[in-house]
Amino acid sequence: MKNKKLQIFGWVVIMLCMMIGGFFGMYIFGEDPIKYVMPIIGGLALGSVITLILYKWNKKRNGNIPDVDERTLLLLKRYLMIVLYVVLFGSGAVLLVLYSIGVHSIETGMLIVYMMVLYILIGVGAIITKCL
Amino acid sequence: MRVINHIREIRQERVITQIKMAEDLHVTRQTINAIEKNKYNPSLELALKLIQYFDVPIEELFYLEKSKGE
Repeated sequence: MKNKKLQIFGWVVIMLCMMIGGFFGMYIFGEDPIKYVMPIIGGLALGSVITLILYKWNKKRNGNIPDVDERTLLLLKRYLMIVLYVVLFGSGAVLLVLYSIGVHSIETGMLIVYMMVLYILIGVGAIITKCL
Repeated sequence: MRVINHIREIRQERVITQIKMAEDLHVTRQTINAIEKNKYNPSLELALKLIQYFDVPIEELFYLEKSKGE
């Protein structure tokens, strides 16, 4: 029961953060966020329904077998440790290379794209590690 | 020295599937497979659960691989 409550709480927090992120993104782009209430809420609702269906389907297919166990946590721990060093030293190396080839300033938009790519890669890697 | 186990043999003797075992021990099927292939050493908690599950003495389930000199 405690787990269930925690799951619902986590879900609500993620939804709220995504909603705030959506409105904030529109505000940063200089658009009126109120115009995008329906697309943001609609997108979130659609995403939630698809996730819920996938979750139920997965539960039905796997029965009582848990998604995560001690070995999964160990693998994720190792993976995240590797990711930490790769991102730290990799980003440092990229900066040094860019500086050495004459790039002395970086556009914030490019940083946003870099972070987005990084998040996606780390997320996909974590999913693959979980399935091992 | 590597830890070797007889889980696969005992499981197959008792006609238990990996999925059934994973359900009973609350671990993933991949973990059962990794343990059987000696690729992953279970935690003490899981090792004790395995002993209880098969109801066999610990030395029958896990043992240390003997080196050449022994």
